[in-house]
Amino acid sequence: MKDPSVYPFTAIVGQDDMKLALILNAINPALGGVLIKGEKGTAKSTAVRALADLLPALEVVEDCPFHCDPREPRGMCANCQARAEGEQMLASRSMKMRVVELPVNATEDRVVGTLDLEQAIQDGKKQFEPGILAQANRNILYVDEVNLLDDHVVDVLLDAAAMGVNTVEREGISYSHPARFVLVGTMNPEEGDIRPQLLDRFGLSVTVAGEHLPELRVEVIKRRLAYEQDPVSFLEIYQAEQEALGQRIVQARRLLPQVEIDDELLIRVATIALELEVDGHRADITVIKTALTLAALAGRDKAEPEDLKKALRLALPHRMRRRPFEEGVLDWEKIEALFAKG
Amino acid sequence: MSKRNLFPFAAMVGQEQVKRALLIASVNPKVAGVLVSGAKGTGKSTMVRGLAEVVATGKMAELPLSVTEDMLFGSLDLTYALAQGTKRFSPGILAKAHGNILYVDDINLLRREFLNAILATAAQGVSIVEREGISERRVARYITIGTMNPEEGTLPPAVLDRFGLYAAAGGETTVAARVEIVRRVLAFEREPELFRQQYREMNENIRQQVSRAGKIIDNIEITQGMMSLAAQLSLQAHCAGHRAELFLLEAGKALAALAGREFLLPTDLEEAALFVLPHRMGREEQGPFERPGRFSEQQQEQEENRKESGEKEREEERQARGKFSNTAEPEADRVEPAGAVEPKEDREGEANRRQKEPVGPQCQESGYNGDVKDKTADIDITFPFLNLSLTLAPNRQVRRGSGKRNRTRSTQRRGRYVRAAFPCGPVTDLALDATLRAAAPYQKLRKKGKCRLTIQQEDLRQKVREQRSGNTFLFVVDASGSMGSYDRMRAVKGAIFAVLRDAYQKRDQVGLIAFRRQRAEVLLPVTRSVDLAQKCLRQLPTGGKTPLAEGLSKAFSLLKLMGKKEKELEPVLFLVTDGRANSTRTGNGDAVADALKIAGKIRTEGFYSVVIDTESNFVKLGIAQAVAHTMGSAYYSLQEISDEKIVRIVKNMPYQ
Repeated sequence: MKDPSVYPFTAIVGQDDMKLALILNAINPALGGVLIKGEKGTAKSTAVRALADLLPALEVVEDCPFHCDPREPRGMCANCQARAEGEQMLASRSMKMRVVELPVNATEDRVVGTLDLEQAIQDGKKQFEPGILAQANRNILYVDEVNLLDDHVVDVLLDAAAMGVNTVEREGISYSHPARFVLVGTMNPEEGDIRPQLLDRFGLSVTVAGEHLPELRVEVIKRRLAYEQDPVSFLEIYQAEQEALGQRIVQARRLLPQVEIDDELLIRVATIALELEVDGHRADITVIKTALTLAALAGRDKAEPEDLKKALRLALPHRMRRRPFEEGVLDWEKIEALFAKG
Repeated sequence: MSKRNLFPFAAMVGQEQVKRALLIASVNPKVAGVLVSGAKGTGKSTMVRGLAEVVATGKMAELPLSVTEDMLFGSLDLTYALAQGTKRFSPGILAKAHGNILYVDDINLLRREFLNAILATAAQGVSIVEREGISERRVARYITIGTMNPEEGTLPPAVLDRFGLYAAAGGETTVAARVEIVRRVLAFEREPELFRQQYREMNENIRQQVSRAGKIIDNIEITQGMMSLAAQLSLQAHCAGHRAELFLLEAGKALAALAGREFLLPTDLEEAALFVLPHRMGREEQGPFERPGRFSEQQQEQEENRKESGEKEREEERQARGKFSNTAEPEADRVEPAGAVEPKEDREGEANRRQKEPVGPQCQESGYNGDVKDKTADIDITFPFLNLSLTLAPNRQVRRGSGKRNRTRSTQRRGRYVRAAFPCGPVTDLALDATLRAAAPYQKLRKKGKCRLTIQQEDLRQKVREQRSGNTFLFVVDASGSMGSYDRMRAVKGAIFAVLRDAYQKRDQVGLIAFRRQRAEVLLPVTRSVDLAQKCLRQLPTGGKTPLAEGLSKAFSLLKLMGKKEKELEPVLFLVTDGRANSTRTGNGDAVADALKIAGKIRTEGFYSVVIDTESNFVKLGIAQAVAHTMGSAYYSLQEISDEKIVRIVKNMPYQ
């Protein structure tokens, strides 16, 4: 059953980079999410929410608040781990991957989880009440206006994102659970910046702008109006396209573990990263992973230079800033030149 | 989470210094912890977490930034109190970390009180708790390991000094190493079990090396000679205090033990110096240690800046020759504007030069449309780092916000919950955990209701939340012609840039107003994007008259507006001018008097302000100083701030 309150992903006009980045993350959650920068009214939030419809199903442990993966004991929460050691097989069910929203005004206790009030008062028991990070495990964590997020919430996000684990030591509760999520953020750069450390956590980044061609602008309006008038029939029109894309994502997911990449391309990426003096190694790693995912999306089992080029465009721009105040523009010509040389 | 797929310590490529420092600390807890500093994505956290698998205990206690006080120090045991009706202590993280490694990621973001407590407890080896009616002493010996990204802020020297060792993590700089890192990370992510299998033996070897070293380290004797060597090394590095020597010897012992030796060699101490000295070196001299270390990096950076500025200066010289003597080669991108004759102004000396000044390429980007007489100075990035010291009246207002400069208690239900307290007045933000602990011991005496717990009025505790509230700096920059010469404007921009840099680190908000000709313009509304401010600054052209009053009046209205919107933020006005006001708001009358009038208003409203006087003529008119006096501002000349490197902002400073 389709949710008529969600605008279909395939009905979004243009914004190809943004759509591609989101699809890549749906295929490969290890990419580390995407940061979407752009002005208001450029379908940022619509696209992220619409992605939910295309997300694949996950196999999860029944009754686990963290939706642990029954096939991966080492990534499980302590409870599931203990149960897995005892029983033969954990009861599991299929759950659709979700987009979990983190509102900008969320308090820290809601994000990391807190002491369960009811249990505490009624039974005098200390029980952990899972927060947003628990919901987000193995799902997409979406932060609208991520640049306006409170600093201490950002700290917590970084903490969790670093190891995929949320460690809670607060309010009488000592608990830790897996929190691996795809971080998707949107921001309007005019409303302030984002901390470089958080920026680096986003695997990819894209900048969106309103369409400039009058025809396209008209098309945007037309579709929106049609959707608002009769969402159900509108969804029907895009049903086939949605399903086809969903299918492509599933296939790419299956293919991804087999995709290979030549050493020569690895060397090219390392050379470019060195030349551009990016901080750390996340840039290299993300570029390669993105190239592999792009190849999988194209149905190939080998990453080509074209994939790499596209990957550089998605994974590098937001990593160009080295120190505060140095202009962080991606010198695309320089990269092209380096690319040609390698 | 008991079992996790950790990236094996042995599989980390490069980062030898960091690995070495971590191993030293694991072998000898007496070295008092390691601070690992490095840019993002250099594998700091991965490495530290991987260390857990090669140390004797095989585990590691992690301290999340969101930790609350009761969890850190320990508190009343709730379950026990409910069952027995008596108080018992439930140990906190500090006590539980005993004999273990305590790891704090992003340690520079941890609350300072907590950080101090962690380091002090480790040094004493005892955790002392006096809270919630419990008095408790527990042995707590642990190895503190912290990682930090200096981009997010640094630690004060006193805190740095408490860490025995320091190691800098950097990205690998060879293609081969980088490729290998990508390969291993991909392999690990695809088949973690298989990957770990491949490194199991290597990890095991390291584990045994550490455990053997731990066994023999106590046999190592420290000779007189070694003591003198340690003292000598510390002296050379101008270390204050005597911690350095002791840490040198302890780290040296660990290195000897790791090498399987039961005696110290001078090379042990020399290697130890690489970790013990960098963060406590005195400023006078850099010492003989060229390797990693924060200071050598900084030095290098300065060196680079110097080179860069050298190049810039040469470039300027060339331009200057072009400008002033017409002898130099004509520059293609610089056009001599036709009839660019500036109206004669107050500064004859430069006026005729300015007539011929070329149009900078950035002029078009400025907020001032289509004017060809402007010039745009670059930012002098070599300007010394400025430290802003704010002496704001305490608790003037209840604040909210998320900057780093002021940490204030927040009465909103936002911010980090740090501790619980008795409520004053009605409870608005219940601290459930503390309330339960308060109620628990008395449950046996109380009448049972439907719930297991009966809570009475006197048990209620309120959450104390803390939030970082930043400051707002509103720069009001004189962009008139008298600010003119390229070099001076460059220095002015350099000074503002230096303040911005400080603001960036402390996550303050900034705004920018420039004034010249007849008007003042808000170039940048108050924003957290310091980057944007910097861009505006870079593109800011100069030229024309000085409508000082207009600039101040614009600032005044903006400040008032801000006060309405966000009461808790104390904005600071930064006026940068040479004070040569020659344009009034009405078009006639005394420009200076006009400016002073508004300055008076700003003082009456009680806004903080700083005046940076850029007047450098031989005959000083001292108008900027008068404005500062009227406005109750801290007053600095451009020269002063570049010498002192600190700007003290005190409310309504007396006239100096």
